[in-house]
Amino acid sequence: MLKAALRRGVSKPSCLSSIRFSSSVAAQYFPNEPIKPQFVSETIPGPKSQALNNELGEVFDNRATYFVADYVNSLGNYISDVDGNKLLDVYCQIASIPLGYNNPALIEAAKSDDMLYAIIDRPALACFPSSNYKQILQEGILAAAPPGMTKVWTALSGSDANETAYKAAFMYQHAHKRGSLDFTHEELTSVMNNKAPGASDMVILSFDKGFHGRLFGSLSTTRSKAIHKLDIPAFPWPKAPFPALKYPLEEFKQENHAEEVKCLEEFERIIVEDYKPHSIAAIIVEPVQSEGGDNHATSFFFQGLRDITLKHEILMIVDEVQTGVGASGKFWAHEHWNLTTPPDMVSFSKKFQAAGFYFSNPELQPNQPYRQFNTWCGDPSKAIIARAIYQEVSKHGLVEKTAQVGDYLYDGLKQLVNKYSSKVSNLRGENYGTFIAWDCYDADVRNKVLLESRKRGVNIGGCGDVSIRLRPTLTFERKHAEILLQVLEDVFRVV
Amino acid sequence: MSISSTYFPNEPTAPIIKTSEFPGEKSKADIKSLNKVFDSRSAYFVSDYEKSVGNYLVDSDGNTYLDVYAQIASIPLGYNNPALIEVAKSDKMIRAIVDRPALGNFPGKDTEEIISEILKIAPKGQDKVWSGLSGADANELAFKAAFFWYQSKKRGYSTPFSNEENVSVMEGQAPGSPELAILSFRRAFHGRLFASGSTTSSKPIHKLDLPSFNWPKADYPSYKYPLDQNEEYNKEEDKRCLAIVDELFKTWKVPIAGLLVEPIQSEGGDNHGSAEFFQGLRDITLKYGALLIIDEVQTGVGATGTLWAHDHFNLSPLPDIVTFSKKFQSAGYYFHDPEIIPNQPYRQFNTWCGDPARIILAGAIGKEVLKHDLPALNKKVGAYLFGKLEALQKKYPKYLQQLRGKDRGTFIAWSLDDAAARNKFLADMKTVGVNIGGCAEESVRLRPTLVFEEKHADILVDAIDKVLSSY
Repeated sequence: MLKAALRRGVSKPSCLSSIRFSSSVAAQYFPNEPIKPQFVSETIPGPKSQALNNELGEVFDNRATYFVADYVNSLGNYISDVDGNKLLDVYCQIASIPLGYNNPALIEAAKSDDMLYAIIDRPALACFPSSNYKQILQEGILAAAPPGMTKVWTALSGSDANETAYKAAFMYQHAHKRGSLDFTHEELTSVMNNKAPGASDMVILSFDKGFHGRLFGSLSTTRSKAIHKLDIPAFPWPKAPFPALKYPLEEFKQENHAEEVKCLEEFERIIVEDYKPHSIAAIIVEPVQSEGGDNHATSFFFQGLRDITLKHEILMIVDEVQTGVGASGKFWAHEHWNLTTPPDMVSFSKKFQAAGFYFSNPELQPNQPYRQFNTWCGDPSKAIIARAIYQEVSKHGLVEKTAQVGDYLYDGLKQLVNKYSSKVSNLRGENYGTFIAWDCYDADVRNKVLLESRKRGVNIGGCGDVSIRLRPTLTFERKHAEILLQVLEDVFRVV
Repeated sequence: MSISSTYFPNEPTAPIIKTSEFPGEKSKADIKSLNKVFDSRSAYFVSDYEKSVGNYLVDSDGNTYLDVYAQIASIPLGYNNPALIEVAKSDKMIRAIVDRPALGNFPGKDTEEIISEILKIAPKGQDKVWSGLSGADANELAFKAAFFWYQSKKRGYSTPFSNEENVSVMEGQAPGSPELAILSFRRAFHGRLFASGSTTSSKPIHKLDLPSFNWPKADYPSYKYPLDQNEEYNKEEDKRCLAIVDELFKTWKVPIAGLLVEPIQSEGGDNHGSAEFFQGLRDITLKYGALLIIDEVQTGVGATGTLWAHDHFNLSPLPDIVTFSKKFQSAGYYFHDPEIIPNQPYRQFNTWCGDPARIILAGAIGKEVLKHDLPALNKKVGAYLFGKLEALQKKYPKYLQQLRGKDRGTFIAWSLDDAAARNKFLADMKTVGVNIGGCAEESVRLRPTLVFEEKHADILVDAIDKVLSSY
């Protein structure tokens, strides 16, 4: 384990830190965490879950419900349902629970005076910021900022974070085009009819299979599944191919490199041939395309995107909504790439509970106030939770721990995938923390794996058409990984 | 005892002004420091929420303002309301904050209960809700619902998607991504994300340099005031605007799936429409098979003297969708037709699908609003305040033009000559201890809390008088 830490460049594995790293944070946080899944009802969802869900359906669209949860009795890595079943949760509210259910440090933050006022006196932040907002940001969201990022704009969800980043990109590019000139009369009048030149005809480029949210601008860049997009008007924005790597990576090094070169060439071709210079405001890309199937690419590909965007003066937005906050074994997944120039903007949400985007160039703030603006401009109550999350993650070295448990889990899964290679394949996420996924033979097998796992007490999620993704908390440890591996072995055997 | 003294026995009895400049020294320094990491160029001052109470907002220099702007119309029950403190400290709230669920996949044991609470103050006839996170989000979710609904009417609710739709949608092209529009109005404000921004038509600065859907804009009535002396003119104005709406439905190059309208255009200048105008819109949407979406983000939750502003119009049939946010703290839309729920799960969907912490708070707000009949209080106080403002208008006709909002609770506004005069007035009001907001270029809007009473109205009117007497 120490070796793995050294390999990652964790500084000075002193006696103290090795003790710290070997003790169970989960046990400290959750002395009463179940030691294994517990079953009460014969099926999941059980009778109570089904009854409550039927009631809910009268007032709220509930057709995507897995089961009705009992959050009071959920603890750590275990989610309880209303029937009393306790499942090891490696899906975690679609990758958004950072430190386990009912984490005592977050309960403390939720009971703090800061939180109280943030809940009951929610400010219009940009007009009437609270006197402690700077401190809240600095001790939390900004302390966690990716390398090279010094500023933040806060929002409410991943979609919202991405769309505010797009707005920043459009306003920045137009400001550059316009130079020191003021808005023209024609711009001021045409914009009120939603027409150019006041309304922009620039575009955001995204990648095939990308997922960036479901509002109208973000959805126009989302390319995951038809069902996410059907019947909704979209901007005619371009998409470029994302590499389809072959696994195991070490066996297909040459092919995969060729694939990435091909994708980069096509990316640059679109920029040069399909669009006039300076008409693509930004690209948006996920470090791992998560909803789209946990598709990875190498640092070479992302450095290529950075080089090409710099060359053509296109902004680069990295969408870390799902990958951010430790799960990849780095606090931010794009830290794996060691880019020569940082991205222009990095968006976040999910596990951070707060949402928004980081940046450093002051020109990404529009030239006038009230352009990047709305009533709430974020939510201090979420920034307070984000601060507590960051402080716990750093205090307990949870990023490093996730890297270690991820290596253990990956090795175990590698053996299983080899053993059941007719059913599961393309294991992904080596050296990438617990951000691990694999493919099943087909959608039918994938869905069976999900259901059979739940039957055996593991709540697990899919992505893409045939993939399974692991998205546990940052307090997921070797003892949890052992249970997960055991259940998966049983499941792979029977499906 | 009045409701504000019940809630806030220690509410100040008058504003306290400690600085000669606004923002004061400490606020200025705080804004400068925050601006290094978070764009704060629009900050009025920095607030001390812990010290704020009831209708009074305290800034970091210790100035205590009577607040009739209330966080851009979004504080419902006053600062540090004890009923909200209680709910914020409840186990239910703590749980909602620390275990935020993906509501669409893993609703909690109490999800049905907390949603039922916000349905208790739903507009008449609306019995279902979908939750979002902000007004812009609520409106865009409503647009999505309208587009799903419109296409399902064409296709048949249960008819599967064609292969062509499934393929073209991934390229962002028709027929999968159809060309459809939402009709909105000039001077409207519905939010600032890309689709909501496309329906917003308040000011160029809200829209410049952003890509936009080319969706139709109709004229919203521009009435002459006072209303009772301009009935005929205003009736004609309704007709003129309705004719434009009808014409757009007939001629717009792509089908219009929904009509989106504010009961009072707030950011756009507090422009009012009559009950006849709104019934006309209802009739036109029925005639052309489009949904009527009422945006109650700013007008909702009691501020116009009724629970929802469109209650004033007695529409028949009822609107299809009503969006909310701001004062309700939670956001989303109400509806009643089950076919406004798309035919498959995961279409109207996202990770969080709302925020139980905010829904719980909204439930508590709704409970207080109903328990104390705050719309009725607002109606009474609004009538009192409007009368006083009418008297001031006689004294200062130049500074209180087109006084609007009679019989609309405290949802009152007026205009000055131009932006410069208006901005000076807003700034001067700080010197007499009132935090007040504008809308459009030359208007002033009052957006106090629902616990704003006659005693507060007296202070406000005196303050206005004091400022205007110096002009």
